[in-house]
Amino acid sequence: MDIKAHQDKLFLPDFCSIQAVFAVVITGEMLAFVLSIISSTVASFWYDLGMTSLYVQWVVLLGAASLCVSRRLLAKMDNKQAGLVAYLILLLISLAVSELAYWLIHYLHLGRLEIHNQHLLFTARNMAISAIICALLLRYLYIQYQWTAHIQSEANARIQALQARIRPHFLFNSMNTIASLTRGQCRQAEQAVEDLSDLFRASLTDASQGIPFSDEIDIARRYLRIEKLRLEKRLEVDWDVDDVPTDAIVPALLIQPLLENAIYHGIEPRNEGGTIRISGRRHGHRLVVSIDNPLPDSSRSSNHDGNQIAMENIRQRLAVFYESPGSLDIQVTAERYLAVLEFPYVTERS
Amino acid sequence: MRILIADDETLARSRVHSLLGEIGGHDVVAEAANGEEVIEAYNRVTPDLILLDIRMPVMDGMEAAQHLSMLESPPAVIFTTAYGEHALRAFELHAVDYLLKPIRKARLEEALASARSLNKAQLAALKQDQQKPYQRSHISVCSRGNVHLIPVANIIYFLAEQKYITVRHTGGEDIIEDSLKSLENEFGDNVLRIHRNALLATAYLEGLEKSRSGQSFARLKGCEQRLDVSRRHVAEVRRQLKRRCKS
Repeated sequence: MDIKAHQDKLFLPDFCSIQAVFAVVITGEMLAFVLSIISSTVASFWYDLGMTSLYVQWVVLLGAASLCVSRRLLAKMDNKQAGLVAYLILLLISLAVSELAYWLIHYLHLGRLEIHNQHLLFTARNMAISAIICALLLRYLYIQYQWTAHIQSEANARIQALQARIRPHFLFNSMNTIASLTRGQCRQAEQAVEDLSDLFRASLTDASQGIPFSDEIDIARRYLRIEKLRLEKRLEVDWDVDDVPTDAIVPALLIQPLLENAIYHGIEPRNEGGTIRISGRRHGHRLVVSIDNPLPDSSRSSNHDGNQIAMENIRQRLAVFYESPGSLDIQVTAERYLAVLEFPYVTERS
Repeated sequence: MRILIADDETLARSRVHSLLGEIGGHDVVAEAANGEEVIEAYNRVTPDLILLDIRMPVMDGMEAAQHLSMLESPPAVIFTTAYGEHALRAFELHAVDYLLKPIRKARLEEALASARSLNKAQLAALKQDQQKPYQRSHISVCSRGNVHLIPVANIIYFLAEQKYITVRHTGGEDIIEDSLKSLENEFGDNVLRIHRNALLATAYLEGLEKSRSGQSFARLKGCEQRLDVSRRHVAEVRRQLKRRCKS
């Protein structure tokens, strides 16, 4: 899914494109069909449909062509003006085609249409139909445009809302650790401040932008280094991600929240701590990263409700980020908690 | 004052320790890294005040405070926490002292000056304000100014006798003040009511026996004793045993 940074300001679609021309032809034909049904008898239906189609197609194709040509000019105006100008262009074309049709019928004696000597009536009828249909069409295009703009702004808002956030609990614990380190372990304090800054920078990057897997691992390592200062021997980490190509693009902070989760619900509540295992595998065009941690003795049932939101956030970010679906699968046993991420291997954001 | 510092992080403890050193006039008599150690250290050195971290493994600070409040003259307690979310409002509401980490020296001095022991009412109120149902990891028994902990996992049954409740556990028997109703509420599925006056830990239920006179008895794991099962609770015990067979 590609979200354009800014949408076209003009509400009219680009009539130069093949799709637009095709849509115009189909719509015109439907209109011709409707007009024929209303005005024809059974005997003359096909003849009338042919004539009406010919007329309508001329109007719509010329209309599309002139809107295509004048698009650049229209784009400079605001939507109200552009709508008015487009409307006038379409009416002028209708008038021209109507005149042309009248004289063709008149001189070539295209028989059955009883329009001879009714020039004014013929023109008035055509223009009335044209005026109403064009007004409806422009109105429809304008509403369609507003609706799309609304959808896009909602999608942008959603992607912003999904931005990975670092938990306040971690921030304040880290600050406490740094406050303690400044009393004698300055080098470590300095490193902790640097690591924390990098982590926050990553959390502030544009959520729609991805980062290389190697960078994400880097962030994760920095995060774990800060936690290690706090938890000391209680936190052990086992990395096994060499199988994953470092150029794979992932949403920033894809893995870090899972590690935070593993520490908060798994390592911290255990007196003896434990080992977090992070392993990554490549299966063709898919990558699988799993994070596994021990859980505390569950005489007191460990409550994992709190992180459901974090998990759902990752799932949604995967869904928004990749074209082919990614997944986050959670397996919980009495002793262990396993989070498995699966996502496509892409080296470029589509 | 003789102070006990309780926090599961070495760096957090050492910072409080040095702040106390700067303030002066206090004596850090012990440190503890979890709630169990807090109780153990309390019994050993009986400090006047405990700086108690809320989030700790094994037994959290809230529970440790709860056990200590059973004492006749409990120590003063100041809670410490990095980030409390909703919980801190409850603390303020019930005038329970707490410090936010990183702790400011001035704030610590202030708190030390006004430190006082928590009463049971305050703790009960705090417990109620917690969002998820709260389960103690230990049951405590006070005797001769000390707190003795019985891990919940070691408890075989609770038996109500007049005013008191006898707790039978793997290490023997103790008497506590509580009600079977509240214990049943607290420990939920981990206990099973088998009689008007008896609550059995489901983990220790082994089987069901019937005497010739029609009375049912529960057979217990690692315990020779048989417990009466009243007629109204037989069906539930049977269901429990059946459920276990399936899983």
